[in-house]
Amino acid sequence: MTISTKLLGMASAGVLLAGQLALAPVASAAGPSMTEEGKKLAFSRKKGNCLACHAIAGGQAAGNIAPPLGAMQSRFKNKAELKAQIMDATVKNPESSMPPFGRHKILSGAEIDKVVEFVWSL
Amino acid sequence: MQNKLIGYVMILAVLLFGGLGTVQAAGAAKASNPEAAKVEKMIAVADKARKRAASVEGEWRDVGKMLKKAKAALAKGDYKTAKKLAAKAKSQGEMGYKQAVAQKDLKMPSYLKY
Amino acid sequence: MKHLLKKIAMLAVAGGIAASAQASPEADLEAFQKFFKKRFASVATEEYVNGVYAIDPIGRENWEAIEEFPPYEPFIDDGQAMWEKPFANGKTYKDCFADGPAIAGIYPLWDKKNGMVITLALALNKCREANGEKPLKYKKGPINDILSYLAYESRGLKTNVIIPKDDPRALEAYEKGKKFYYTRRGQLNFSCANCHLQNAGMNIRADTLSPALGHTTHFPVYRSKWGTVGTLHRRFTGCNKQVRAKPFKAQGEQYRNLEYFLTYMSNGLELNGPGARK
Repeated sequence: MTISTKLLGMASAGVLLAGQLALAPVASAAGPSMTEEGKKLAFSRKKGNCLACHAIAGGQAAGNIAPPLGAMQSRFKNKAELKAQIMDATVKNPESSMPPFGRHKILSGAEIDKVVEFVWSL
Repeated sequence: MQNKLIGYVMILAVLLFGGLGTVQAAGAAKASNPEAAKVEKMIAVADKARKRAASVEGEWRDVGKMLKKAKAALAKGDYKTAKKLAAKAKSQGEMGYKQAVAQKDLKMPSYLKY
Repeated sequence: MKHLLKKIAMLAVAGGIAASAQASPEADLEAFQKFFKKRFASVATEEYVNGVYAIDPIGRENWEAIEEFPPYEPFIDDGQAMWEKPFANGKTYKDCFADGPAIAGIYPLWDKKNGMVITLALALNKCREANGEKPLKYKKGPINDILSYLAYESRGLKTNVIIPKDDPRALEAYEKGKKFYYTRRGQLNFSCANCHLQNAGMNIRADTLSPALGHTTHFPVYRSKWGTVGTLHRRFTGCNKQVRAKPFKAQGEQYRNLEYFLTYMSNGLELNGPGARK
């Protein structure tokens, strides 16, 4: 990715966000664009690679090591609880094979927040 | 629109300072450059963290590569990149050490039934 | 506080938690093989020499087609030529390995004199060096030719790793290999066991995780991904890298001990190398 395309992406994301804000001035920071970015991170093999183990609607060639991601809002009390699971699943279950995305800084804090938004929306 | 402008200015600034840095590093007075000395120290500290992890068989895959890149960036006078890489390498060295030490005593998984 | 800890420790021992960490190799072997019997009840133990194809019927069809014209065959032929060609001093491998070429069955073995695990690859290089030849590289290249030949000649022998009771260092090496196997490594925090025991048979993306039982029987292995034959230690290296851990040296102490443990876990299974994998 060149700097110019990156800039373009950033600029267009900004325009998008601005547009949404204009339409719905009360929307929180966790708007659809954050969810969309979270999805990209979740699907990327080099980043979240959630599909390695979890089936997710819209994802191709998903693994089955862990439960499919869906109905998350009935499985976790709130986003904070979901985030804790993504940060380090071995806290709840020491034998979990899920990589500790937060504890081992596999994803940055900002990236995890986006992934949480996306997964919470499933 | 304003954001975009700030972005451009920042990129310009980075390019400018990066260029200056190169000139500085190329100069013979590298040793007396406090910024370079600081980055060098950071790299040394990170390498120590890497070795500490290795001593308990806990070194991670990319730490050595990060340090190599950090050294190359330092040589080019790109202190910002060098610092970022050194900090990341140090953090990964520490995490690898912690991970190995936490498992000092073998704990057999519960799914193996004896 | 101390009293409490003592009590907990005693309870743990009573509960068998601490006991399994220090179980005998025999007990480890039984638990390991029992695990797979339970998970894949319909798969016969001797089937595990076929690796993932023992449990993946679709992959198996492709694999059987590949095995009709084995990609490792030229390597066996080259290895035979190596085995027979005299060194510069006129001697051959046969002078080192009188029982050769079907010798893969006794490796890895415990070398009491040197206090270390000796693998077949290491023994081959010791032979070369004793005869004034340069050692071969341990992951890629010609070592795979001669290993392919020896594995082929050893087909049908049974895995029979021995941990001699008269040298406590042998058990120690085994224990180190076992510890390695169950230790989580790298940024992704996986142990060997996480994938090949706990989640054996499950899919990671579209790939089925192969069962640990039988892992050592078919090396060296032709991997389509490599486009060539590679050693067991090359495979260990790849696994470690995948979990983002720094791999250890091929034929270094860690991987030799790991091979000692892992091969012991397949005791009783037939050797069927060289193999072909995806």
